[in-house]
Amino acid sequence: MKGISISPLRGALMLIVALFFLFPLFWIVLMSFETNTDILRSPPQLFFSPTLHNYAALISGKLGGGGGTMTVNYMQNLLNSVILSVCSVVVSLILAVPAAYAFARFKFRGGEDIAFTLLSFRFAPPLLVLLPLLNYFQVIGLYNTYFGLIWVYQLITLPLVLWIVRGYFEDVSEDIELAYRLDGHSWLSTFFKIAIPLARPGIAAAALLAFIYAWNNFIFALILGSSAIQPVTVGALAFITSSGIEYGQIAAALVLSVIPTLVLAIFTQRYLVEGLSLGAIKG
Amino acid sequence: MSAADLAAHPAGGSAGEGVSRKRGPGLLPYLLALPSLLVCAGILVPFVTAVFYSLERYNLAFPQARKFIWFGNYIKLLNNADFWNTVRVSMTYTVLTVGVELLLGLGIALLLWRRSWVTNLLNVLLILPLMVAPAIASLMWKLMTNSDFGVLSYLVSVIGFPNFRWATAPGSAMFTVVLVDVWVYTPFIAILLLAGLRGLPSQPFEAAELDGVPQTFVFFRILLPMLAPYILTATLFRMLDSIQQFDIIYAMTQGGPGNTLMVFQIQAYLQAFTFTNIGRSSAILMVLWAITYALSKYFMSTWTRLRERAHGLA
Amino acid sequence: MPFLTVDRLAKAYKKHEVIRDLSFAVEPLETLVVFGPSGAGKTVLLRLIAGMIHPDRGTITAGGRDITDLNPEQRHLGMAFQNFALYPHMTAYENIASPLRAKQTAAAELDARVHEVATLLRIDHVLSHLPRALSNGQKQRTALARSLVSRPPLILLDDPLRNVDAKVRYEMRLELPRVLRARETTVLYVTQDYKEAMALGDRIAVLIDGVLEQIGTPRDIYQTPANSRIARLFGDPPINLLAVQPVGGSQGAQIRVASTDLRIPPGQARRADGCVLGLRPEDIAIGFEPQPGAMEVEIDAVTPLNDREVMLLRARDGTEIFASAPQGSLETGQRGRRDAWAMLDLAQAHFFETGSGARV
Repeated sequence: MKGISISPLRGALMLIVALFFLFPLFWIVLMSFETNTDILRSPPQLFFSPTLHNYAALISGKLGGGGGTMTVNYMQNLLNSVILSVCSVVVSLILAVPAAYAFARFKFRGGEDIAFTLLSFRFAPPLLVLLPLLNYFQVIGLYNTYFGLIWVYQLITLPLVLWIVRGYFEDVSEDIELAYRLDGHSWLSTFFKIAIPLARPGIAAAALLAFIYAWNNFIFALILGSSAIQPVTVGALAFITSSGIEYGQIAAALVLSVIPTLVLAIFTQRYLVEGLSLGAIKG
Repeated sequence: MSAADLAAHPAGGSAGEGVSRKRGPGLLPYLLALPSLLVCAGILVPFVTAVFYSLERYNLAFPQARKFIWFGNYIKLLNNADFWNTVRVSMTYTVLTVGVELLLGLGIALLLWRRSWVTNLLNVLLILPLMVAPAIASLMWKLMTNSDFGVLSYLVSVIGFPNFRWATAPGSAMFTVVLVDVWVYTPFIAILLLAGLRGLPSQPFEAAELDGVPQTFVFFRILLPMLAPYILTATLFRMLDSIQQFDIIYAMTQGGPGNTLMVFQIQAYLQAFTFTNIGRSSAILMVLWAITYALSKYFMSTWTRLRERAHGLA
Repeated sequence: MPFLTVDRLAKAYKKHEVIRDLSFAVEPLETLVVFGPSGAGKTVLLRLIAGMIHPDRGTITAGGRDITDLNPEQRHLGMAFQNFALYPHMTAYENIASPLRAKQTAAAELDARVHEVATLLRIDHVLSHLPRALSNGQKQRTALARSLVSRPPLILLDDPLRNVDAKVRYEMRLELPRVLRARETTVLYVTQDYKEAMALGDRIAVLIDGVLEQIGTPRDIYQTPANSRIARLFGDPPINLLAVQPVGGSQGAQIRVASTDLRIPPGQARRADGCVLGLRPEDIAIGFEPQPGAMEVEIDAVTPLNDREVMLLRARDGTEIFASAPQGSLETGQRGRRDAWAMLDLAQAHFFETGSGARV
């Protein structure tokens, strides 16, 4: 059975599916180019004269609200997101790729048990560990720091990278590595010149997924930081709940917050699908 | 042929020739893995601390009254109507989201099974909702369901539901957040199941077609069993996520209206940050953890079993 | 002074001993073939020598150095793998150049040596290709080139012709000795194909279940196999193994084979006591006249095999026997004939003990 065979029905269903999943994105983008008056017009308009005012306001940081101007530093939120996500992924790669290699190539005593324990912590409720962490961070001064938050992000990104990359290393034939060593190269050279290049698709997929998870994270940043280091996810909520913000600007803020991941997704979708399904299945 | 076995080996062999060799790669694997293991083990410290919190009467407003009360928090929870409300709301949320997403995801996967430029395009576009942060997605839907200018409010009023209050009314709040969850996470299931479908061997289906087996039989007795590991994986991931849902609900209503959306983590957040009752908050979270732990343990055992059976069928 | 010595090597995986107390030596510039059925431990042996795995017990000495605890890159060996193990992201040229790059050979000399060995293996026209653009035969030649380019004193070849198609395999079987001799290197060659073993080996070491059962020249192994298992492994169609009983109260000038009493040459008589008789198909002749000392058989099937004809015979008591004769010695259409006679050349018979299969 290869799917429903009737073509018009399939076509209609696919259209409905596409509409459902894409409409919100489309609409918010639309809203971000509308003036407040256009937004408040009822019924909602599909056609209007677009404006860049919302984006300009966000970028410059000066918003004209209900009365007078307000300064808001949404751009800082964006920068925070970039810093936190990129650094978390880099740290995870540095730590997890060698570890993934070790797990793929060597049998540790109780290896599978360790793996399961790691995985099970990934499923633990974040808030459970965040409350104590909040206390600890405040004591050791890591509260509201990039450093502190990046390490906490590792709880999500590190197991992810480890899991996915290990599968890819397992697929690299050990004979190839042995051949390279017999040629006279050291273990280190083999790791960098053979193992990593051959596992590159997996590393890329893992890095992408880790970036996306880090970027979309909400609760860690909500609790362990304040506005100075908070990423766009938390920033957007703060933005919305502040009074006197124009809805168009809110929409623009939302659009800005999703552009990186959406663009990444479109250009790397093959890696993503592989990473997602492999992460779930191969594990 | 796996590399050196690191299990302990008796040093010093039998008398005469045949001396036992030193084990292979030595410290290298540990050096490679240690930093990662340390970071992951780092989670144990706050975890254990949280366990202690849950066993204490610990309220930031009354620091001097902090003391160990063993299972006092838990017992109080059992008698607490709010707690049972939380349990009920969380279960409802989980069942609704996972159920709808599974059905919808399976349907979409079946729809996209046959490869063509259309299905490939849809495959790409479907990833997009998944890429949106759940909190942001919630805000998007919040805008769209705004009673004054939200496009969805308008559309819904046109088809006969004027004054549909979406997330601001107790009756429809659950529906709204489930809708957001479905929007964000159905693609995950669809992509996963699609990968599973595409990886299935074609022989059983060709054989069934040749034999003229009715499609319902093929679907229920051949297709579904072979997809079982994927379905189970998808179900588990989503169940664990749903029962711990925080972002979507927090962004939408912070748990309101009233306590209609007080799922575990939201309730715990409220206890910790509004009522400063760390002890009770931790207890609630421990209960949640116990549930997720049991679920993932159950999954691990069933998953291997199902996978073998699916391979046997192929 | 042997070049490679393996002394009391042992390796076990999870209580299962893959290699047991293995000792043998390879002379300089010799090609020693390690032959055995799958699961015999041949691949494990090569990986022990290459340094991928560590033995539980025993030592390995090569070129006067104890290499047992050395890392692979310190062992100065070349190796060609069954599945080629080429670096997929490098061209054939770079694959071959790899050992020279490890030694940081100067560019000009590196280039010359890569081309030299590529010409020897006749792949110099595909050097710029990636492995996925090469045929299996070319891949194997590239792997061989890589193992030879730095002129290592010892080369390990792990069933290199296994994954290559039959025609190429046959060609390589002729070419390999030429190539190996040109490079003047000691060779340890592993295979499951007895014809390959006999064609390529100066000596053959037969490895069964991790134990070295016999080591000798191909002729030694074929003509005086140490046990019935080895006898069966060498020969196509395989040697006939038949139970025999001595007959007659005397010293047994006669034996009963397949319910037929046959006279046995005096030299063999002593050994024929409650044993298993091994007789190769080529030592059985077919005739259509009854003769003294012949066995009445029925011809069940006739199949040409290379330049011989192989016959499946059935004795009166149902025992199946293989015989072979040069092509054309049988008229066509003899299949099904009930009145054939098989002359067993018992002077060529091997005798094995019934239980252990050891040669008597």
